[in-house]
Parts: sequence; structure tokens; C-alpha cells
Amino acid sequence: MSDLRFEYKVKDIVTITEALKVIQSAPRDGRPFSVTLACGFTPLHLQTFLTAHLQRALTDRKVTISTGLYGSLAGTLERIAGSAPDGVVIALEWADLDPRLDFRSAGGWGWNVATHIVSTARAVLDRVSAAIALIPSGTRIALSLPTLPLPPAFHTPGWEASANELVLEADLLRFAANIAQDGRVTVGNRLRLSEESPEASRFDLKCDLYTGLPYTTRHADRLASQLALALVPPTPKKGIISDLDDTLWCGIAGEVGSDGVCWDLTSRAHLHGLYQKLLSSLAEHGTLVGIASKNDPATVTRAFDRKDLLLRPDQVFPIEVHWNAKSGSVSRILDTWNIAADSVVFVDDSPMELAEVAAVHPGIECILFPKNDHAAGLAMLRRLRDLCGKERVSTDDTLRLKSIRERAAFHEQSAGAATPEGFLARAEAEVTFDFASATEPRVLELVNKTNQFNLNGRRYTESDWRSLLARQGAIVVSVSYEDKFGPLGTIAVIGGVMQGDLFAVETWVMSCRAFARRIEHQTLKVLFEGTGASAVDFDFTPTAKNSPLQEFFAALLGEKPLAAFQLRRVQFDQNCPPLYHAVREMRRAEAHG
Amino acid sequence: MDETKKRLAACFRVVFPDLPEAEIPSASQETVAAWDSVAAITLLNVVEEEFGVELDLDELAELNSFPKVSNYLQERLQVG
Repeated sequence: MSDLRFEYKVKDIVTITEALKVIQSAPRDGRPFSVTLACGFTPLHLQTFLTAHLQRALTDRKVTISTGLYGSLAGTLERIAGSAPDGVVIALEWADLDPRLDFRSAGGWGWNVATHIVSTARAVLDRVSAAIALIPSGTRIALSLPTLPLPPAFHTPGWEASANELVLEADLLRFAANIAQDGRVTVGNRLRLSEESPEASRFDLKCDLYTGLPYTTRHADRLASQLALALVPPTPKKGIISDLDDTLWCGIAGEVGSDGVCWDLTSRAHLHGLYQKLLSSLAEHGTLVGIASKNDPATVTRAFDRKDLLLRPDQVFPIEVHWNAKSGSVSRILDTWNIAADSVVFVDDSPMELAEVAAVHPGIECILFPKNDHAAGLAMLRRLRDLCGKERVSTDDTLRLKSIRERAAFHEQSAGAATPEGFLARAEAEVTFDFASATEPRVLELVNKTNQFNLNGRRYTESDWRSLLARQGAIVVSVSYEDKFGPLGTIAVIGGVMQGDLFAVETWVMSCRAFARRIEHQTLKVLFEGTGASAVDFDFTPTAKNSPLQEFFAALLGEKPLAAFQLRRVQFDQNCPPLYHAVREMRRAEAHG
Repeated sequence: MDETKKRLAACFRVVFPDLPEAEIPSASQETVAAWDSVAAITLLNVVEEEFGVELDLDELAELNSFPKVSNYLQERLQVG
């Protein structure tokens, strides 16, 4: 029940002892995950905590962190250009921008040097920007802006910001805004860090002067945690299932009627309005929103007809409204979305309903809607954004709900069709194979978030992906699909290496939205024909979630494979059902010179 | 080995995972290659966490062997 309680505390503080134990628990023969930590101070506990937080996120890897020279952050970054780490972490502090801002420096603080400090800082920021631009593409970069107070180097009393301090801050923010445009760089949120690590308890002057580490232990841990999240972000949740009464709106619709429920300031129900606004914003960015409510369907339909609803009805699908158990509603919504419970958040104002759903769907994240508690309400809104927020939004994200509605229509019609063959033959389906899309963000994103039709469950960092693409004979193809019910967007990726007349497939994923259309068959057909391969080697591993792929292979092989296997072309041709798609190939020549 | 020494030995195992068990009671900055300035500070913090005492960085140079840290802790804990 602990996950049902409405408490959003700062993530557990990791002590140095715990951090060292996490580091020592890394698999000795785990694939290395190498990170360069660029900072101008002695990294000490920051390095320890960063290693531990990354190790906890990457349990099957062995995280190693290399650091640069003391006092030379820009130099450390410049040296990265010749290497290819999996990630780069930059912990910038004021002392990196001008040595006179370093408490350990004997440089003067007179009023006449303030403008020099500003101009030196500007030059250093330019140098750091240039060094970041030279870091090999595909390497993720996490950056924290200065977290420590400026030394009392400027002429104004502490409660007043001097013009030079403000210019320094403005230059820093301009630098950060420019850097954030680089798709590889994630800039840590300073305001969020302030909540987890209050500014007054970050700096340890004695430790700085004695050891060169300016951070308190707690601050080193909190900063490391944020930088680790920026470098290896968690997979966003794919959907939110919400209750209605006293959750999406204030009031019980069955008692006060569809016109009586409210979510506005005047009714002091604006927390519900904010919740609707957040759901609407998340839906625009591709998060699925469904409803599970014990209610009267006609009343709910009338409420959803209200023009002042801040969550548009077309952003919600499906809506399960009846008097039966909510766990059943959740099951049907998950089936419609074709995603697992652990990819979803369930929000309700009733602890009992949350417990009932949690008992049937272990793994689902249950959140209590804290009606009448605005502080907890704000924490809930932020928690939902944290769980579902995305680094970037793709066209495919915005298509997701539309394609799920179309898939539902597809299945409805296919169930009603005289024969499945007749239905597929009349679907007017077109499958597009793009041979030169491997570096597009959507491709790696799809590989890393797909579970059910996934060859082996393997996840790739951007540098792992880059290594795969660089191999001799590498072929990565993305697949998109459209039929008379609408486009599904990019829904599959297959990648591997040609070895003579064998194609060795290392990764193959397909979105669950695209099942039951024989796209997987068409993909293999195009690969066999396009590469001339006589057989395909699949680096297959059964996982807890990839049974749809296991069943597909079983239909081709006569039994479910238990490990890596080879599929001969003749075997495929004998077992491939009729395919009705129009096939379009893109950029094959571009990909293969 | 008394309780304090056992707990201190656990701290040493965390900071110096490659140090053989038998060498822990006599370990010192001179005999343990991994005991550099960074490890010394880390050990100080791990000991602080284990024993709930605050150790001053000024004492870092003095606390350069298992027996010295052990004696120091015995005194601090008795006073406390």
C-alpha cells in the first residue's frame, strides 16, 4: 500500500556507504557504460554518487566515470572530442568561469575587477560551447548550471544584486538556452534542485579549502541524482487512467447532475481544472488518457458535452463508465491501448478503488487525487508531469491516440468481416520501408520503449546505437504503415548486419498498435528480397513481455524458439500468409551508397 | 574483536573492497596502496555515517591507520 499513499518525498538520500555498495554490486563482466565527468573541482563524492545513481539506473552495465584535470573544465571537454564515451556530465560552477570566483583562489575581489570577471566568464562560456559542439554526435550530455553561491566578490551588499552579477547570470542563461537547443544536451532544472537541496546547505567552505570539493554530502548526492536522470532518463509512462467524480471534476455527477459538477475558480474547484489542463497538455504530447468511472453513462456523456471542459472529449479514449469493478475497466483500457499496466498511471480520489486496481494490476502506478489539499494537489500535478513528460515530442506521439481509435475501428470491422483475408485485402494498406532513418530520434526511441514485439528486450544508449550503425554491413530499416483507417506513423524498426548471404538481426521491434496487419511478415519479405539473404539469424531472447513475437515465430517455425535461431528463406516463403500491402521503399540507395 | 572494531572493519571493507580481511586490523595509509587522499576523505565520511559522529577534516592526517581510527572512535564514543 505504500505506493498508494500521497507522499512525494525527495528520493531516498544515498549515503556514501550505500553509494559505494551500489558501485561494488555492479556486474563485473557487465557491458561498460563510460561517462566523462567534467568539473573544475575535486569530484570526490560527486563522482561516487553519480556512479551509484547511474549504476542503479543501468543494472546490467558496469558504469565507469573518468574525470579531467582539476581546474580545467573546458580543457576536459576539449579532450573528449577524440574519444567516444557513452555520456558526458558537466558540473559547471562559478569558479570555472573565472578563477577569482573560486574561494580557493587568491585573485582579487576589488570593484575594478568585476567587469573583467564578466568578460572572462563570457569567453569561458564560449569556449565550453565550442567544446560541447565537438563532442561526437550521439553522445548524451547532462549539464548543471552553477549550484553554489557567488563569493562576496562584488561591491554591493548581499541583499542587492549588482549589475555585473546580473550580467553574469544573463550570460549564463543565454549560454544554457543555446546549449539546450542541441538535442544531445539536457540542462538540469535549477529550481527543482533547490527544492531537493536547499541553497543554504550546499556549500562546505572547509571541505572546499581542505579537499577541493565544495559540496556538502547531501548536495553532492542530490546533484548527482539530477545529473544521472538527465543522462539516463526513465521511460515516460504511456497513459493515464482517471476517475471522474471528485477527480476530473469536483462533485458527484450522479447527485448534482452534469451541470452541477465544476472545475472553476468561482466554485473553488480549480484544482480539478488544473488537473484537466495537465491531462489535455499531456494528451497533446502523446500520453493516452482513458476514463474508469463508476457512474451513470448518460450523465457522463452530458458532462463531456459541456463546452467549458478543459480536457477535450476527443483527447480521451476509451471511456469506461458503468457500476462494475474498476479493475475490469482498467483491463479493457489496457487491452484497447495494448500496453502493460506498468506503463500506466491510475488516478482516483478513493483509496479503496486504488487498492482494488493495484491488487489486480500489479505494477500500475496508483495516485490518490488529493481533493481539498492544494499543496498535495500541486505535488500530484508535478508528479504526473514527471512520470509522463518527454524530452521531445515527435509527430508519431501526436498520432498515437488517433491511431488507437482507428485500430479499435479496424478490429471492430475485422471482427465483423466475413473472412479476415477479405478484410485485410480491402484495408488499402501501404507499408513504407525507410532504409536511411536510423539516426532519427523516433527510431531509437521506438527500439527502447517497445516491449511486446521486441526481439530480445535489449535497450540501447545513443552510443550503443551509433556503434551498431557503424558496423560493416549494418542495415537499419524503419517501417511506417497506413491504411484506409488512417496512418499509424513509424511503427517498427529492424536492424542488423549482413554477413555474406546471411542477415543477422540484432534488434527488431514493432509497436503493439500495428499488430494483426501482417506488417511483420511484409518486413521479413522485403528484407529477404532486398538483401538477397538466404537466411536470417535472429538474436532472439524470450522475455517476460515478448510473447506476441514468440507466437509470430512459432507460426513460422512450428514451435516457439527458446534462444537465438536461424530462419531460412524457403522456410519463411512456405509459412508466410498472403500479404495485401502496397510496399514503398525509401532511401535504399542513400543508405547503401 | 570488539563491536566498534567490527563496525570499523565493515567501513574499511566498503572503502577498500580489495583489501584482504586479515589485513584490515593492521591497515594503514602506508600499507594500503588505495588509501590516497580521496580514499581518506571517503573513509572519514563512511565512518561518520556508521558511527553517527562528526569527524573534523583537521583530524584527517592523524587518522591514518585502522588502530588510530579505532582508538579515536573508542574515545569519542566513551565521551559521547
